[in-house]
Amino acid sequence: MRVALAQISPHLGDLRRNLDLHFRYIEKAKKKRADLLIFPELSLTGYTLMDMVEEVALVPGKDTVFRKLKAASQEISLVIGFVEELERGLFYNSAAFLSGGKILHVHRKVFLPTYGMFDEARFFAQGKNFHAFPTPYGKSGMMICRDFLSYGASYLLFAGGAEIIIVISAAPGRGMVQEESYETSHMWELMGETVSRFSTVFLIYCNRVGFEDGKHFAGGSFICDPTGKMVARASYVDQDFLLQDINTDEIRTGRKKWPYKRDDKPEVILEALKRIVRKYED
Amino acid sequence: MKINEAFVEKILTSFIREELYKFNYKKGILGLSGGLDSSVCAFLAAKALKPENVICLILPYGESFSQDVKDAQEIAKLLGVRSKNIDISPMVNAYFSRYPTKNRVEKGNKMARERMSILYDFSSREKALILGTSNKTELLLGYGTIHGDMACAINPLGDLYKTQIKQLARHLGVPEKIRNKPPSAGLWTGQTDEEELGLTYEEMDETLFQLVDKRVPKKDVIASGFKKEAVEKIIRLIKNSEFKRKLAPIPKISSRTVGHDFLYPYDWDR
Repeated sequence: MRVALAQISPHLGDLRRNLDLHFRYIEKAKKKRADLLIFPELSLTGYTLMDMVEEVALVPGKDTVFRKLKAASQEISLVIGFVEELERGLFYNSAAFLSGGKILHVHRKVFLPTYGMFDEARFFAQGKNFHAFPTPYGKSGMMICRDFLSYGASYLLFAGGAEIIIVISAAPGRGMVQEESYETSHMWELMGETVSRFSTVFLIYCNRVGFEDGKHFAGGSFICDPTGKMVARASYVDQDFLLQDINTDEIRTGRKKWPYKRDDKPEVILEALKRIVRKYED
Repeated sequence: MKINEAFVEKILTSFIREELYKFNYKKGILGLSGGLDSSVCAFLAAKALKPENVICLILPYGESFSQDVKDAQEIAKLLGVRSKNIDISPMVNAYFSRYPTKNRVEKGNKMARERMSILYDFSSREKALILGTSNKTELLLGYGTIHGDMACAINPLGDLYKTQIKQLARHLGVPEKIRNKPPSAGLWTGQTDEEELGLTYEEMDETLFQLVDKRVPKKDVIASGFKKEAVEKIIRLIKNSEFKRKLAPIPKISSRTVGHDFLYPYDWDR
């Protein structure tokens, strides 16, 4: 399959312009015969929304924006980031997987960073699940940015049978290192290499670029194969369009050599977790 | 503490370019003193926007700091940016002839605010966005004039310590004589930052890096070899200048209040 990553810089709070931007990339990806096109976190709205959240919220079942995206997904599968109004007045930082004219799954961000420069739990309701769902390319799972830094989340997708893990992100760069990148870029890459290797999955990380209120989103979108090898990476600063062929047979090959999935013991982990949680609730 | 200069250059030039585009400006304007920070800012702006879109205002007080004025002109020429000299002494003297003072900080602050006032006026005349030149050391220590040199639309250098700016300056090709000048706020002749603050920039930046970036507790910073008096002075300066880094507090009365819970990004609708 051919995967395309749109490392864009969305217009903050401007759904209409962002939808146009999405369609420009959709056309581009279709021309390149991509099967799946992935956009970053909150790609339809921009990140630093604060009190604008409610103004740009969408209801996937009802919205014309989604009608258009669903129609486009007849020809190319899409992952997009948006603000979702699930129940009246409850807003989620969500990711939708669209394919064949349908929404196959919506993931709602569980880990809302609220510390230092981040303030998400002030504006968003918290998602409650990590779910692997069937797609034309194999079972897939989605995470949004900070979700991916809690390794339990990756484990749940692995245990749920995911073969492709998609992380969409709006990660600002921070921390200076000697190389031409941020300290935090290495953090994402380390996690990507680790999760892909020890789950024997393809790990696709799509981040955004651009500035919002001085925050610099640090791009560096990448794809890791089931052996943990990074096979493609986008620019750390500029808008980019990454195109990569991946062979999903490599999951099978990888799992023959490293049977982590076969030997996984979710029931042991579940029982142990129950004991731990019970203990600290006492 | 060390930076990758090429990477920082990329970030800061992208930032300048992107912010101007968002605010619908083609040109940037800044006050060029002939010192390190404003020179670095001019170099970055020239790279980001092309020299013809950068306006440097050289704003001396009469004949003082004539070497700095020459250096500033040289920088402008070197970069091929537009520059304009405006002597602020008639405006400043007009005020002080009516309300004289012997306090040189008061005089210096007035000059800094006169320069700010001219920059904002030219920003409007030229449709050019004001690029600030305050560095992280100054911002943290409050070593700047509120509503004076601290005033700007965007501040590209605000997260770089003075020593990091020096490192960047070398990479950008800022002439050696400017890089080696003793840093000065230029409030009066012969003033140097290090003498006035009683610490070298290396000491200040290293201490700030430990306290602010690495969040090392004060006692551990001192235990690791930094002078107690210096660390305490730096902490005092940081605390006493928070007001310069914030919007003035508003007493909350209504259910939604500016500065409290009326929460929108700076880049709102940009």
